[in-house]
Amino acid sequence: MDAVSLIPTPDALQVHWFWLHLLLTLTTFLHFVAMNIMLGAGFIAFATPFWRGNDVMPLNAHIAKTLPYSIAFTINLGVAPFLFLQVLYGQFLYTSSVLMAVYWLSIVGLLIISYYAVYIYRLIDDKSGLGRLFIGAALLLLLSVSFLFSNNVSIMQMPEVWLKYFSDRTGWLLNSSDPALIPRYLHFIASAVAIGGLAIALYFEIRKRRGATDGEEWIKLGCNWFMVATIINFGFGFWFLGALPENAYDPATLYGKLFFIMIVGSVVTIIPSVAYAQAGRIIPATVWALATVLLMTLARDILRLTYLKPYFSLRELPYEPQFSPFLVFLIAFVGGIYLVGWMLKTVWNAKEVT
Amino acid sequence: MNYPVWQLEFLGGGFLIAVIAIIHVYIAQFAVGGGLFLVLTEHLAYRRNDQGILDFVRKHTKFFLLLTMVAGALTGVGIWFTISVLNPSATSTLIHTFVFAFGTEWTFFVAEIVSLFIYYYTFDRLTKRNHLTIGWIYFGAAWMSLFVINGIIDFMLTPGAWVENNNFWSGFFNPTFWPALFFRTFFSVIIAGLFGFMTSSFLKDEELRTTMLRYSAKWLLVPFVLFLASSWWYRAALPPHIEVIIFQKMPQLRPFITLFLVCSGLIILGGLVMAIRMPSGLSRTMAAVMLVIGLMYFGAFEFLREGGRRPYIIYDYMYSNAILKNDLDSVAEAGILNTAKWVEHRHVTPANVQAAGRELFDVLCLSCHSIGGPLNDISRQVRMSSPEELNLIFATMGWERPYMPPFAGNEFEKQILINYLNTTIRR
Repeated sequence: MDAVSLIPTPDALQVHWFWLHLLLTLTTFLHFVAMNIMLGAGFIAFATPFWRGNDVMPLNAHIAKTLPYSIAFTINLGVAPFLFLQVLYGQFLYTSSVLMAVYWLSIVGLLIISYYAVYIYRLIDDKSGLGRLFIGAALLLLLSVSFLFSNNVSIMQMPEVWLKYFSDRTGWLLNSSDPALIPRYLHFIASAVAIGGLAIALYFEIRKRRGATDGEEWIKLGCNWFMVATIINFGFGFWFLGALPENAYDPATLYGKLFFIMIVGSVVTIIPSVAYAQAGRIIPATVWALATVLLMTLARDILRLTYLKPYFSLRELPYEPQFSPFLVFLIAFVGGIYLVGWMLKTVWNAKEVT
Repeated sequence: MNYPVWQLEFLGGGFLIAVIAIIHVYIAQFAVGGGLFLVLTEHLAYRRNDQGILDFVRKHTKFFLLLTMVAGALTGVGIWFTISVLNPSATSTLIHTFVFAFGTEWTFFVAEIVSLFIYYYTFDRLTKRNHLTIGWIYFGAAWMSLFVINGIIDFMLTPGAWVENNNFWSGFFNPTFWPALFFRTFFSVIIAGLFGFMTSSFLKDEELRTTMLRYSAKWLLVPFVLFLASSWWYRAALPPHIEVIIFQKMPQLRPFITLFLVCSGLIILGGLVMAIRMPSGLSRTMAAVMLVIGLMYFGAFEFLREGGRRPYIIYDYMYSNAILKNDLDSVAEAGILNTAKWVEHRHVTPANVQAAGRELFDVLCLSCHSIGGPLNDISRQVRMSSPEELNLIFATMGWERPYMPPFAGNEFEKQILINYLNTTIRR
């Protein structure tokens, strides 16, 4: 039995795969930004008191206030890429999900518990004592969820490991045989801590511009986390690169060339980002960092195609056009952006009323 | 056939999806009706210039946010995760047919989250008008989510002309779309009243508590007539063969029909009782009981709807075991063990006959039967039947037992499966 014979037959697309992939990449980027802020800020809130003591509790109070939002948006912005991923790669994703079904379904429970833990952390006044237990528990569970996601991506991209199903059909498989699994996971976590640090700096920068005077120290702290985590992440990144199959960055192939360009682009954009952050110029630092996240998202898309190249091509997906639902979606999407924009503007412009 | 089968034994037979789906849909419907409850109650507070009612709205919003945003949203994701591992083929069909309906629903979900956060955190920051507008935006987005999801859920029960023409709109605006939409809308208003009881019963001010309990009771009693009318319309819109399955052919569904009818009476009775002035402890207990009754009410309906779809997962198109209706003959001719992708024992020998029987069981039966579990336990059913009766069941599947798919394999495979049931399972 070979892995190719196991790959399920895909269903037909309603629009050209390019549009679906564009939506997948765009929404994955948004999800990554939210996820990085959530996980990174949570990590910093838990870790910083270990050497700064209770001095950082004012910062943690702010993080506690915003964490429920970032979890909500991480989940919400994860729904869309999960949808488009299923449309384009469902035959791989569903299979990997079945193979690790128990872990996969446990994600829901882990997320519910961590979400409520974060709310409790927000609601209790004692952020240093009992509070650390809740933020620590939430962080641990979120890190577990990330690990399970990394595993699913790994199994999904490696049909050659699917044969393990025949020795365990009960949904307890993880892909420990993938040499890229651990560095991939650590690379993501370190990115999250870096972006989380920058998000903290940006949050207090915005407050400062609106007249608050309590944020200078936290802007510096956020920028330091950003720099340190980014430097560490270079190490994880090289480890990850070394663990990838050689054809991933083979310049003789189109995917290899594109992947190489994205990686170089990520390095080129993250350097000015760190430099701006150290100079206290948070807005340009953020813009460059977002460019890095976008390039890394694209690199990840290309990497997936490289892994699946022996088995799959987007061009081969069956296609039975029906454009009107797509049009309705675009109208709703634009309308949604307008509505959300109006609501945010209304709040931004609001003064305290009695 | 196309995907691996997750060997879920004890929690199989629909138990896992039933639990998560009923909890999610109950909370999700609360997220719709509760949105209307919030904004209309806020209007009421302004109209009466009553700070007590406004404070109640604020507290109720907190409860609403914590329940719908966390448990509601995540069990929604949970349904998606669950169906994709229990029936990936059907999930793939739904996703590919309705990708842009799901996408549209997601945009409403974004608007829901943003508006609900703003609504909760800006009671003191926004003008009354803007705050109410945000509340209406929340309700509008939540109801539109219901509108979209309703089309997809009812497509599975009554796909209508989609089966022939594969057209998105035929599937979305399927024969039960409109009655189901009204049914779910009125039900979500009733659920809002049930949750209103819960938060009202915790009010310390007795006068205000009684006022809000009576106000919540109206949310049950007023739409109830419309809810019953839409139930009748829903039933009338069902194709006759589905109605026969639900109300005549499936003895397993009778307890749920009874439960639905009993809960209808209890909801009315409970609504009237809650309007009576009573001590706070008693009203809290009553509110909790009413919430449980509401959950059972909705659970009974969901079991009936799911049961009516049998033996299909997408009616008239894909059987519960993911075999397409149109493929049945070709699969029977070639055999399951030769057709299914994720099968190891394609050639049956005396050494692997039990393993092959298990694989046939996994592919053909596991989607509906648990092994030793609380729902559709195959061990219990096999032990209740003699070997001859078991043969008869296989002979009548899909015909005299219309809630089971016809046996999809060839005669040899049928004997292997029966042998597996009579040996390993009967043991």
